[in-house]
Amino acid sequence: MIKRVEINYRGIFQKNLGKKIGSDIVIIASGMGRIGFSNGRYSDSPERNGIPCKYFAFVSHDLSEEELEAECGAKLDIDQCDISVVLDDTMIKGVEPWGWHGVRPINEKVQPGGTLLVVTKKSQDELLQFIAKKPYSWKLATYSGDLSFGGLWVFRDDLTHEKTLGAVAGIDPDIIGIEAVEKYLNHKTPKEPARAEAARQAYDEVRKSVRTVKPGEGVEWKHEIPVLPKWFQFMEGAAVPAVKRHFELGPKGQSRNETFKRGTTKNQRPVVRFDLCTKCTLCWLECPDQCFDQTSDGLYDIAFEYCTGCNKCAQACPVNECIVMVDELQFTDDSSPWDAYKANPQKYTEWAEEKKRKGRYIHPMVTGTGLEFVEGELVPFGGKRAGQKT
Amino acid sequence: MATETIVYDKIKGVHKIPLEEFYTSGHRTCQGCESATTMRAFIKVAGPRTVVTGSTGCMYVANTSYMTTPWIVPWMHTQLGAAGSSAIGMAAGLRALKRKGKIKDEPINAIAFCGDLGGGDMGLSGISGALQTDYDLLIIMYDNESAANTDIQATGLSTYGAQTTFTPPGSKHRIMQRRWKKNVAGMLAVGHPTCKYVATACATFPPMDYMNKVRKALAVGGPTFIHTYDPCPKGWDFHPRYSHEIGEFGIKSGLYPLFEVIEGQVVYSYDCRKTAKGRIPVKEFLVAQGRFAHLIPEDIDYIQKRVDEMWEEWEIPGVAPIKGILK
Amino acid sequence: MIAEEPKIKNVYEREDLLTGCQAVSQAVRLADVDVIAAYPIRPYTEVMDALSKIIADGELDAEYIIADSEHSQFEIVKHASSVNARAFAGSSGTGWCYGFEALVVTATDRLPVLFLVGNRALDDPGAFGVEHNDAMAVRDMGWLLAWVTTPQEALEHVLIGYRVAEDKRVRMPMALAMDGAFLTHSQHMVKIPTREAVRQFLPPYDLGDGRLHPDNPISIAPQVNEDWVMELRRQNWDAARRARGVIKEAYGEFNAVFGERYSTPFFTEFMTDDADTVLIGLGTVCAPGRTACRRLREKGEKVGFVSLRWFRPFPTIELRESLKRFKAVGVVDRDFAHGSPDDGGILMHEVRSALYPLKNRPAITNIITGLGGRDVSIDDCIRMYEIAQKSKTDDKLDNFVTWIGVRE
Repeated sequence: MIKRVEINYRGIFQKNLGKKIGSDIVIIASGMGRIGFSNGRYSDSPERNGIPCKYFAFVSHDLSEEELEAECGAKLDIDQCDISVVLDDTMIKGVEPWGWHGVRPINEKVQPGGTLLVVTKKSQDELLQFIAKKPYSWKLATYSGDLSFGGLWVFRDDLTHEKTLGAVAGIDPDIIGIEAVEKYLNHKTPKEPARAEAARQAYDEVRKSVRTVKPGEGVEWKHEIPVLPKWFQFMEGAAVPAVKRHFELGPKGQSRNETFKRGTTKNQRPVVRFDLCTKCTLCWLECPDQCFDQTSDGLYDIAFEYCTGCNKCAQACPVNECIVMVDELQFTDDSSPWDAYKANPQKYTEWAEEKKRKGRYIHPMVTGTGLEFVEGELVPFGGKRAGQKT
Repeated sequence: MATETIVYDKIKGVHKIPLEEFYTSGHRTCQGCESATTMRAFIKVAGPRTVVTGSTGCMYVANTSYMTTPWIVPWMHTQLGAAGSSAIGMAAGLRALKRKGKIKDEPINAIAFCGDLGGGDMGLSGISGALQTDYDLLIIMYDNESAANTDIQATGLSTYGAQTTFTPPGSKHRIMQRRWKKNVAGMLAVGHPTCKYVATACATFPPMDYMNKVRKALAVGGPTFIHTYDPCPKGWDFHPRYSHEIGEFGIKSGLYPLFEVIEGQVVYSYDCRKTAKGRIPVKEFLVAQGRFAHLIPEDIDYIQKRVDEMWEEWEIPGVAPIKGILK
Repeated sequence: MIAEEPKIKNVYEREDLLTGCQAVSQAVRLADVDVIAAYPIRPYTEVMDALSKIIADGELDAEYIIADSEHSQFEIVKHASSVNARAFAGSSGTGWCYGFEALVVTATDRLPVLFLVGNRALDDPGAFGVEHNDAMAVRDMGWLLAWVTTPQEALEHVLIGYRVAEDKRVRMPMALAMDGAFLTHSQHMVKIPTREAVRQFLPPYDLGDGRLHPDNPISIAPQVNEDWVMELRRQNWDAARRARGVIKEAYGEFNAVFGERYSTPFFTEFMTDDADTVLIGLGTVCAPGRTACRRLREKGEKVGFVSLRWFRPFPTIELRESLKRFKAVGVVDRDFAHGSPDDGGILMHEVRSALYPLKNRPAITNIITGLGGRDVSIDDCIRMYEIAQKSKTDDKLDNFVTWIGVRE
């Protein structure tokens, strides 16, 4: 018997968190007399900020370490898993790990009867609006938590780690048991009972949250898995054709790399109030991903398939409330915001304000030192110009 | 002013920056990657009649994911220490083919880029070799102060005191990066009197400064070198939102001197001397990054002292670490 | 298409006394090479001395770059080759090793640069004499690798080398190896071909859609993940296999232009027709080897000598067919492979491996000799024959490797 746990996390921001969860599952399982090992998906390395990555933990009650390694190790991704943990709920929109793979469903590796375990403040119904349907039934489980983002050197200790261990125990005690989790945490940090308590709390919460998702429930997945060419079907000398040169004004007027879009890197996206824009060009100029397309009227459309949600445009924009970063799960498609604005400026603006109001982040300079999730002010269409940022 | 001696197509305002991209969307760089902006800007202003080599490093590994590429212009990987030699190879090859009538005789820019590890440490000798030739070539060293692609190891260009995977703070040694940042642009300018243009820059601050420096380098001809300061959200540990601000702080605090050496004459792009613009405290730059979270006030004072020395005591402030004997 | 008569009447412009290095420099001139990168190291460096003078005198129009190191030197020609310039470089000994990274990528980028390797012992201690380990270092990397034995052959193999390397079915870099001092610096009368004849044989270099030029936008060598490396290796494997056929074609064409210079492309047999024992070796050891052979023949010994030219691609089938006729084969290695199977030399392993599929294999014995430029005398070679002959009946492993010429 093999139990496989996959931990989906955002590169760098959750690198330490993902690895620590994988490691602790193995340590706790070993304490229970089980065999386990843990590794990362090496092709994620070197990780980049925001890129969806994976860590794995494998546990068995009866196999030898070598057999477990033979079954689960020495391969770069797993075929299926018992639990797929999602540490940033925006990854349920799919993940694009590398060129040519396309956007893959977050529950791709969840086996029949397996569980997708998401730390989120969203309802399960909301989540299922984004997750691919499967031909078999599987489970969705959630536990409540804010986005846990840290940096490479300054981590974020917000108990997400402990909660995830408790949640995994809540889903499948054959991987780790909750008593063993508590014992381990209390032993490691005897003066901090809150850690074991957080694990127990998530354990209880998750057990209540488990929902069976029926075959066919979820969304139709539009991205096909590409077939890679055979060895004689591509150029020799390791050369590949360049992106074909093309430029014109307007939405998507710039030619872009079609086989690696990486938009799944973002967990927020810029929402633009075109009516407030002063056409200063700074969003376009600062964008490290060349996502902004100048249009015929001097405004800047955004190619969201390529946007990584880095915030630079919002930071550079000198106008208050003109570009605001908003939670990615508020959006269901990547269509052109400029097109929508031109079609109906007032309706677009109301839509934008609705999005801006609900879920915006305030980031500190050092990522791991805090993160605020706030409601924004409403700036009505046709109202007073928001003015320069102070 | 020495800048007037270069006749070049100056970008006179942000609205005059060419819109077309030649390094386009669809690369695997970090959110808020300033080096990606460095790539984007140089090729934007160099234009499509350019061939580019990229040394091993982030801007190789993260940018190109085989069988895809974000490059619209011809681009080729070169080895870690081979920015200089790859630039020579391209420029020499093209020159020979043009002269011998094997290809059309037209201007083609040859640009090679490298990181601080590849260019400032390993490839220094190759770049020096390139700057001694008479080929038209430009070498851009994007400096994110670490071997960022290997998961952030210190290089000879890492800021004093920075935490990296090779320089972790420990219970016995708080500071493991005890080397002062290598002054590559200054060294190359001082050591290669026939090289007509050496500059330092930052992709986004001051706006257009870097783009115009690339234009100048290409216009002046011969071998040229630009060193860019590229804040790295991953390794420096700040939120990608603030990539621009961190670069600006680095420049305004005097840690990253911005200058050009044009035919032997130093021109400051941002003069940090007390008699000019002055400096913001280095602390503002340091506390905004997780890599300095372990520093104590005395460390910050030390860095401040060294920076003050750079600007107030060096014979050529910010450029050459030689103190005048007559002072 | 092997013609009966040379296509051009005057295939040689003159005859001159040239060292191996100088002969190569004349070939580089005739091949109208576009970019040359130089860095000094003995003994190959004489070719660069000669080329700089050729360029100074206006006999060749090429960029001549004095690099700051072998690494830069090799990278320069690699990138020159990528923009479709015909490029030439070379090195010796540890210099070759210093640039090894560049040598590796030149092969994986499939750039048909030609290098002269003036074989030199690897440091430490510093030594100038010949040993083959330097050139051998690229044997598994996707390089064409051949040894020549005279300045005339050296000149001709620059032309053959470019022709094979640049062929679209091959596109591999070429290392032309010659024994340091014994060939690099040894002067012989050399017939120098006319430009017209060379043009007839060697077409212009054309990388086609693989070249780096604004009119042909491509990205060369983006970073791969595990999805692609194996397919790329398979391409390179196939190119190395295809190279054998292209080499045969090239010799056919060479003979058609220059007359019947080479009866066989990959190796040359000497007095093997009725031989029962042969020696096989690379490089200049063929001279004492053949002379010893001749002397033994005078005494009625049925011995022969096989002078191997192409090491990569290895002429597996041809050599197997040749060597299976003999009872014993003594493999002469001017290299070492410490701790390898049976502690033999590199060439021995390759020859033995090629013979393995045969049901009735000749006895194999291995001679390590001439290291660090130690001379290999006719008497030494006579002893080698004796050892090989003995191996027909005595195949004890402790006698398998013999060091000849070492003080013991």
